Amino acid sequence: MAQSFQQDCVELLGQRLERGEISRRAWLAGMAALGASPALAQGSRPLVMVNWGGIANEGFGRFYGAPFTAANPGVAVTQDSTGPSAGRIRSMVESGRVTWDLCDSSASSSFLLGRMNLLTRMDYSIIDRSKVIGPGFALEYGAAPYSFSSVLAYDSSKFPNAPTSWADFWDLRRFPGQRLLRRDALATLDAATMSLGRAPEQVYPIDTRAALRRVAEIRRNCVFWNSGSESEQFLRTGEAVMGQIWHTRATVLNRESNGRIKFIWNQGLLQAGIFVIPRGNPGGEMAQRLLASMLANSEGQVGLLGLLGNGPTNPAAAAQVPAELKPNNPTDPENERLQLTLNGEWWGANYQQANQDYLDTITG
Amino acid sequence: MRRDVVAKLRQDGGWYALLLPAFLLLSVFYVTPILQVLAISFLEPEPGFSNYQRIATNLSVQRVIITTLRICTITTLLALLLGYALSYTITLAGERARRWWLLCVLVPLWISVLVRAFAWVTLLRRQGLINQSLQGAGLITEPLELVWNEFGIIVGMVHYMVPYAVLPMLASMREIEPRLLAAARGMGASRAQVFARVFLPLSMPGVVAAGVLVFIFSLGFYITPAILGGGKTLMVAEWISLQILDLIRWGLGTMMATLLVVTILVTLAVFSRVVNMRRLFGGGA
Repeated sequence: MAQSFQQDCVELLGQRLERGEISRRAWLAGMAALGASPALAQGSRPLVMVNWGGIANEGFGRFYGAPFTAANPGVAVTQDSTGPSAGRIRSMVESGRVTWDLCDSSASSSFLLGRMNLLTRMDYSIIDRSKVIGPGFALEYGAAPYSFSSVLAYDSSKFPNAPTSWADFWDLRRFPGQRLLRRDALATLDAATMSLGRAPEQVYPIDTRAALRRVAEIRRNCVFWNSGSESEQFLRTGEAVMGQIWHTRATVLNRESNGRIKFIWNQGLLQAGIFVIPRGNPGGEMAQRLLASMLANSEGQVGLLGLLGNGPTNPAAAAQVPAELKPNNPTDPENERLQLTLNGEWWGANYQQANQDYLDTITG
Repeated sequence: MRRDVVAKLRQDGGWYALLLPAFLLLSVFYVTPILQVLAISFLEPEPGFSNYQRIATNLSVQRVIITTLRICTITTLLALLLGYALSYTITLAGERARRWWLLCVLVPLWISVLVRAFAWVTLLRRQGLINQSLQGAGLITEPLELVWNEFGIIVGMVHYMVPYAVLPMLASMREIEPRLLAAARGMGASRAQVFARVFLPLSMPGVVAAGVLVFIFSLGFYITPAILGGGKTLMVAEWISLQILDLIRWGLGTMMATLLVVTILVTLAVFSRVVNMRRLFGGGA
């Protein structure tokens, strides 16, 4: 990235301070005149937020990055859509050349990577725990400024009676047709467990063997999606008539198909959109401040709901959501009480083995 | 005698010096990462051969290897069959027709593998062109399952691989002396006999070369199986990526990567005794 003139002025001023040509007070005055904060002078590098691509760049930049820069003049926030998979974070931290500050990860990855000492612990003297709706959204190694849910979506033209639960999803006799599941054990095994009649509050710890057997029962009638767009495509083109997909995609399908494809919140798996800070991130503590501002910014979260469909996690946000968006907000109290919050801690401890077993089950 | 060697070295030394930058570049950016991969496969999660033992003990590892070998073998055989028919036609065609044939073989090579996979999806899916035409014609009532299974993957892979099968076979067929075929006919052989006893044996080096090339290429396929498999098939390349990126079991992932590299090298070593590998990779005719 080319250096701007303003950045160069900041640098010059910093050099003069170091050589003792100007006083600290004069330096601060000069910085203020340049519209830069002292933080910029320390690194003069912008904070880097990493997401998974699509219009997340625009959404996260507009509703998380820009408000933070406005409140902290001179601290730029840039977006990177490389896709911060657990493996990439590991290789970056282990190579000792970390360029990412804040990564859009997951609860399970935060536990997994945290255990491997690859993440920075959340500093709850900076981040305010009271700014999220539940304990699953503020973890030891990450916090969630947004939420999403894995819901049951179906093609209403194919069934006279609407499915209402995962038990219906597994009932191929009453609801014939191809099923669609994510090619990932997370949230899938939880749904399989509920389909066996277990009450939502008794899902964890998941009996993986029973849940995998349940998946094996319908795997011949299933297709499996890897990416969100793929899940949308499968339902839109009629390759599958019922699926467990992210609520953001279900919302789009519902709108596009004029209500033919519907989804239900009941027994949906509510998940925290956990952001993590790689150990040794270049922006240091400033990344914690950025995350804290994202959690506190309920307006930005509501804006993101309008643009991307991501649910807010700030307790004040639900009331600020416009009426027409409420039905699509996973953390709207009406919708939230129907769902089960995915247990990130259980998944963090069991993901590696459970997901491998799941892949073996569906590809066997 | 000694003086000769020294003189020769001095003479050649300049050329080796010119090669040095390329050598350094390759060793830094290519050999070093491969050695790292090798090292991780022996060091994680604990030092030793535990990852390699899993080839013998772990069902998941065995399944992905067997699936990959099965799909690659079928793909290779089909690509060779189709490629042979094409090469044979092209060899016997006239100069003008041959140019058109070659163009038709080469054009798919320039289309992205992603685009081709999606094109197959639109053709093969339940409400795709093929199923709809068949249903429209009243030939079937329920859509055929043409995709989201190994069938779909093999269709996509064979389509991708046919040009790679054609080119080495065509090169080898064009070297066959046409007068040999005429001579065989003149000595009373039937058309079938000429093909079976003269043309086919002479074209075998090309067939073997094409087979090796297609098989090795197929081993590393990632995008086509991921798109056409409907998530129900796992081949080696995707399995490695899952271990490295999502499951963070680098020891297992790098073990499989090493196994893949070794398999390719062994295949090359074995067949380089049978065919001229330089021809396969563009050296020589």
